[in-house]
Amino acid sequence: MDVDLAFGGLVAARLLLAFAPLPEQFKFDHLLSSPLTSNLRLHEGVYLFKNGVDPYSGGIFYQSPLYLSVFSTLLPLNRVSSPVIWTLVDAVSAYALVQTWRARSGVGKSKRDALLAAFYLFNPYLFLPSLAFSTSSISNMLHLLSIMFAARGETSPALFCLAALVHVSLSSILLVLPVIMLILGQPKSGLADPKPISINFKKGRAIGLEFLGHFSVLTLTSTLVSGGFQWMRQTWFVELSLLDLTPNPGLWWYFFTEMFDHFRPFFLMAFSVHLLIYIAPVCIKFQYDPLYAAFILTGVLGTVKAYPTLSDPGLFLTMTSLFPEILPYLRYPVVTSLIHLHASLLLPLFNHLWLSQGTGNANFFYASTLVFGIGNGVALMDCVWAGLRIALGETKEGYDVIQQ
Amino acid sequence: MILTRVLCVLLAVWSVYADPRIESEHFEEDLVIRPLKDGRTSARFSFTTTLENKSPRNPELLGEDDDSQHYTLFPLTLGQILREYAITELHLSLNAGKWNYDTWGMPDEPGVATGGELWAWIGDGAPTSVDRRWQGLRNALAGLFCASLGVMDEQRTTSPSRTFRPEGSLPDWGHAHHLRHAFLPSEHVCTENLTPFYKLLPCKSFSGIATLLNPHKLFDADWHGMSVHVLWKEDVGIQVRLTFQAVLDPVRNSWNNKRDWSLKSLFDRQIAQSCPVSSASQIRVSIPKDQPHLFTPQPSRVDGSYAVFDVSNTADVEMRWHEEASFENPATGKQEPVSALSVRRTLESVNKYRGSLKVAVTNNGGDDMQTTYLETLPWFVQLYLHTLRIECNGTRRGDLLRGATFTPPIPHSRPTLYQSTLTIPARSTVYMTLDVTKAFLRYTEHPPDAQRGWDLPPAVFVPIRTDGEGWDGVERVYTPILLVDLATPDFSMPYNVIIMSSTLITFIFGSIFNLLTRKFIVVKMEGDEKSGDGEEREAGRTGGKGGEL
Repeated sequence: MDVDLAFGGLVAARLLLAFAPLPEQFKFDHLLSSPLTSNLRLHEGVYLFKNGVDPYSGGIFYQSPLYLSVFSTLLPLNRVSSPVIWTLVDAVSAYALVQTWRARSGVGKSKRDALLAAFYLFNPYLFLPSLAFSTSSISNMLHLLSIMFAARGETSPALFCLAALVHVSLSSILLVLPVIMLILGQPKSGLADPKPISINFKKGRAIGLEFLGHFSVLTLTSTLVSGGFQWMRQTWFVELSLLDLTPNPGLWWYFFTEMFDHFRPFFLMAFSVHLLIYIAPVCIKFQYDPLYAAFILTGVLGTVKAYPTLSDPGLFLTMTSLFPEILPYLRYPVVTSLIHLHASLLLPLFNHLWLSQGTGNANFFYASTLVFGIGNGVALMDCVWAGLRIALGETKEGYDVIQQ
Repeated sequence: MILTRVLCVLLAVWSVYADPRIESEHFEEDLVIRPLKDGRTSARFSFTTTLENKSPRNPELLGEDDDSQHYTLFPLTLGQILREYAITELHLSLNAGKWNYDTWGMPDEPGVATGGELWAWIGDGAPTSVDRRWQGLRNALAGLFCASLGVMDEQRTTSPSRTFRPEGSLPDWGHAHHLRHAFLPSEHVCTENLTPFYKLLPCKSFSGIATLLNPHKLFDADWHGMSVHVLWKEDVGIQVRLTFQAVLDPVRNSWNNKRDWSLKSLFDRQIAQSCPVSSASQIRVSIPKDQPHLFTPQPSRVDGSYAVFDVSNTADVEMRWHEEASFENPATGKQEPVSALSVRRTLESVNKYRGSLKVAVTNNGGDDMQTTYLETLPWFVQLYLHTLRIECNGTRRGDLLRGATFTPPIPHSRPTLYQSTLTIPARSTVYMTLDVTKAFLRYTEHPPDAQRGWDLPPAVFVPIRTDGEGWDGVERVYTPILLVDLATPDFSMPYNVIIMSSTLITFIFGSIFNLLTRKFIVVKMEGDEKSGDGEEREAGRTGGKGGEL
């Protein structure tokens, strides 16, 4: 493994942090884990599973049966194992990020590796959920691994990780197309020099079929593990139907708390379909750089998916480090950072005021999620702008780039 | 032809008269009065109507027209409901107040859960499902007793068959019987429930001990509750037992702080005449041990620890502690509890979305004790069983809890059901702690007084007899109900939320599609002029050349 001392040091520091005595409150924090990624519910699911109660027979456990099988046999969850597992998961993610960078930039070992790893391991949006042992760290790992394997042209591992990712977090289905395009294409930056590409549809179809194969195997395994099809309702359907309205930093929960009952199905459909609409335009526009398309869709997920935690926008922000070429073309990076700073202070504060202190009401926290949503949305728009703007290169004095 | 018809009719008439199982009806009434340790007096009225040699309706025949039912004493309105939904066994109780087991002991009627409690054993095999008939039963009883039993929907209904066994027998129709049980802790019993109760009695409140059911006094009591029990006993028939139970405080109402009572002082009424259709009508008074007391008139007989008075020749009963100048409440000092089991249950909230449920069960007896433990919680309070800690005498004792069964809640529909068997060592207390989280409700699911909180149903403990007598099931210990506050959304601005969230999503969506679909061009900036003669470059969608136009 070609990792250097700096990487090891970073991981060791994270491991120390994971063993640090943290307040109990961490595990319950709405910003760090959602009902779909909560460690408390994972423990409960494993406990019920071991004691012969179907965890999917009620509204306690919303995570994949694969987690159940892994954490009830291979990796028992306890005080010692959990920090180690979650630190390792993050280390693998950071490693995948570094490898993706190497594949994209075409350079070998460089000084930038440690910087990228630090960007992942010490991004507060990412390491705080990991300290709360939220399973979003695991889906982030699958996310980055599938991109890494795809960037390196390793088709089967990439498709397997992708299938596992979609399996544990259904909304990640947005990434299927860009990752397949990445396998077919190349990871090098094509942003500055857009060229139409020719897609080998025959190969694409084979890859698509392989993905479906992996996905069906995982589905079948899950069905065998949990002994029925009930888990689909309790994992995928919950993500679509938003049965649990626990607050999170996203945009769905309060909208559907306040929604009139007879409009609920319509808006649920509209919100879910709305996510899918992004796939085609982003993939067509950035066809010459599928890695960038995957990055933009990660940003879409972090902004408007159903049960986001801080780790979803965190992954998007960390992935910007893969694309240093766009940085000069961002229009308002300062504004975006300030909004993020503002939101990251407001979110925990207003959550506390509403739910613990009792001096604020739900609108306080809702307002801060709106600010956070604006921050993520603006960052996303800026990245789309920069990714397209870079193709025009530097402008001369007295000239400006606008959209017609 | 005519001859055969006549023969048929004759045969039918003969078969009816020859049937040895002639149906007949019985009515008995009974009042039990127990002086309690804290000076209060418990009174339990019981009115039993028996429909002899009759069995509940077979659910398989629900699709067909029912045989016509003729009752003389049996309450018709209740009978119709039981036939309509083919209910085999039914228990309804509506209580107000908290039964204090430690000083009052076990109640004469075990169902003393605060608020409403309804449970029924319903046979399967009918064209309509058990749940559908349970729903019909709830609504019919809600209409009959003027209580909001209709809201005991699937969000409150469980099937805790380990705790609530049938008290009578279940007919063998070749189909299983199912239990449906629901608590309604926020329901209150009042006069509007008592009036329909009178109407079910054959003598209403005009004669017999029902005369004493004076709402002014009963609803002034420290604890009061009414219940209806319908059960079938194979060798007896269908039995309807209507009961009213109250804990009255003669000390509070006496001018010289004495606990002496009479029917007149307790109920402000006397029995003018006995109920003519009643086959047995008696007042039983529990005789306190080692306390000098006097009865006026003298009891007609003494049956064990009860002095029995016959209502037909007794208008009033009076009991006096003639050697006691004034009553000193021993319960105010430190005092051994009367009941074998003492239970405390609290919900400690860390904040509006999590807390922990703490249950402390004390065995006051000298022998180890086994009880079943039932916890039914609405779906919005979620238990985390892996966090269960059981402590006894300062050590962790996971082994004390066995045979746990758990039905997880379903959001917006099914409640949690948790049943287990708990062993409590002699003269010690078992502490159980469970983490809970509180769900977030849709704004339409909150009641109008959302800030008040939600009442949680009581936990139930049923001591299991270990002396070889097997299941008893009649002694039940209900914990007091709990109040839980849930986080509330803002109720004033659903439109604003919908508008603002939609705006933000549209803004992001619109901006991104704007960026993705419109052409990028380079324009010359010359003051305010935006002329087309500037240099324009384009980066097209699929490989704009970046060249000059």
